Amino acid sequence: MPLAGWAEHQFASFMALTGSPALHSLSGAGFLVERAAINGFAVPGAVSAGGGCRLIATRDNWVALNLARGDDRDLLPALFRDETLNPRDDAAIAARMAGCDAADMVGRGRELGLALAAMDEAPVSPAMTVTTTGIRRAAPTGRAPRVIDLSALWAGPLAGHLFWLAGAEVVKVESRTRPDAMRDGDPGLFALLNQGKANVALDLHDSADRAALIALIERADMVIEAARPRALLQFGIDADALVARVPGLVWLTITGHGVSDGAAGDAAHWVGFGDDCSVAGGLSAALREATGRIGFAGDALADPITGIAAALVAWHRWTGREGGRIIFSMAGTIRAALKREQDAEPARLYTSLKRWAAATGRPMAEVFGGTPLRSPTAPVAALGQDSAPWLGGTL
Amino acid sequence: MKPGTKLKSTVCDTEVMVIKAGEGTIECGGAAMAEAKPAELGALSADFSAGTLMGKRYVDAAGTFELLCVKPGKGNLSVSGAALSIKDAKPLPASD
Repeated sequence: MPLAGWAEHQFASFMALTGSPALHSLSGAGFLVERAAINGFAVPGAVSAGGGCRLIATRDNWVALNLARGDDRDLLPALFRDETLNPRDDAAIAARMAGCDAADMVGRGRELGLALAAMDEAPVSPAMTVTTTGIRRAAPTGRAPRVIDLSALWAGPLAGHLFWLAGAEVVKVESRTRPDAMRDGDPGLFALLNQGKANVALDLHDSADRAALIALIERADMVIEAARPRALLQFGIDADALVARVPGLVWLTITGHGVSDGAAGDAAHWVGFGDDCSVAGGLSAALREATGRIGFAGDALADPITGIAAALVAWHRWTGREGGRIIFSMAGTIRAALKREQDAEPARLYTSLKRWAAATGRPMAEVFGGTPLRSPTAPVAALGQDSAPWLGGTL
Repeated sequence: MKPGTKLKSTVCDTEVMVIKAGEGTIECGGAAMAEAKPAELGALSADFSAGTLMGKRYVDAAGTFELLCVKPGKGNLSVSGAALSIKDAKPLPASD
């Protein structure tokens, strides 16, 4: 499938770097199709495999509009400046879109906090940006890395899962009031990605919990989070300041569009999910160029692609005892992966896009799965089951 | 007020996008907001100076008004003198 070559290449590097035997039975490409295999998703056309995102024609371009969250549709009257719009009526939405300019629509949608992208846009941020270089840790810790995983959904938890497979001790931290919705929304994928992780639940509105989380981070080697940069700052959790004072701390921030501040606005405020970010990274444009088809060229591919890329970079930095805050852009990572395949293996990429388009509507795992679907080998912790020892400071 | 209208504070940097609105005057820092920024900012009322936060959605008690802060400032938001409060964060999707 598209970008499988890149995933295999990155995963092989991760395997070599960590030297973990638990990784040997797995394939990098397998992570790209895992969610589709669990859920029986078909190879998508203009509606994403998961169903939440669709490519809609505007006057001058195609726009991927992701309405995966329950109340996203409430914002549509504001998006189209039309209170008469029935936000549940997809035909009415498409009709409004047809009269709009893509750039205008995408700009306003992002200001409203919607996840959307234009097919011909170029990512505004590179795949990764290092905002703070850490203090070098004087000596290796002599133990497996301790990872605090504050992320939810797919990309961040996959990075945490790869660390766990490589032998790290991973603590998944969830909000008591706003836990990772994938626990109930996609229990199969949740179990695969979060197996073996300890689980801590807390409330960032509570000052004692905030202090406990900061203390936990000060004892950690790596942090994974996927909040918009302002969100943690508003709770007084300053990633750059922590990286600047905790020796060797590697902090991964996974965003949709990075933090570049340019003519199109400040990308740090934009929301992005796997399918729309893949479009923003140029994947659907590549599919159209190779096949003439309008569609998504993967199942929320920016999620697993970024999870794998982030794990490799972070582990490398941890091994070097360097520390630092690294901000990933899912759109930028797709762009980088695509560029690598265009340069290194153009024939393989072209063939994979052709095969993808020809398989539209068929079960994705059957056509592109290769290896059988793996099962969890470790238990999944209940929400907050390990809060007491981790937040109490005994671990 | 049409949804999608962008309003600017006349006393601070705050800007909002109207998600929905009913009858009443949308204010920031105690003064009515406007689509155009005045040449000179007015005075911020001490009673409405708690500030706005970027990306937060503000609602009235009845749920008639909803404003999204797209640029933060020193004033806080009200409708016809009644202060608005922050709406809970959007739930994340169950899968993306």
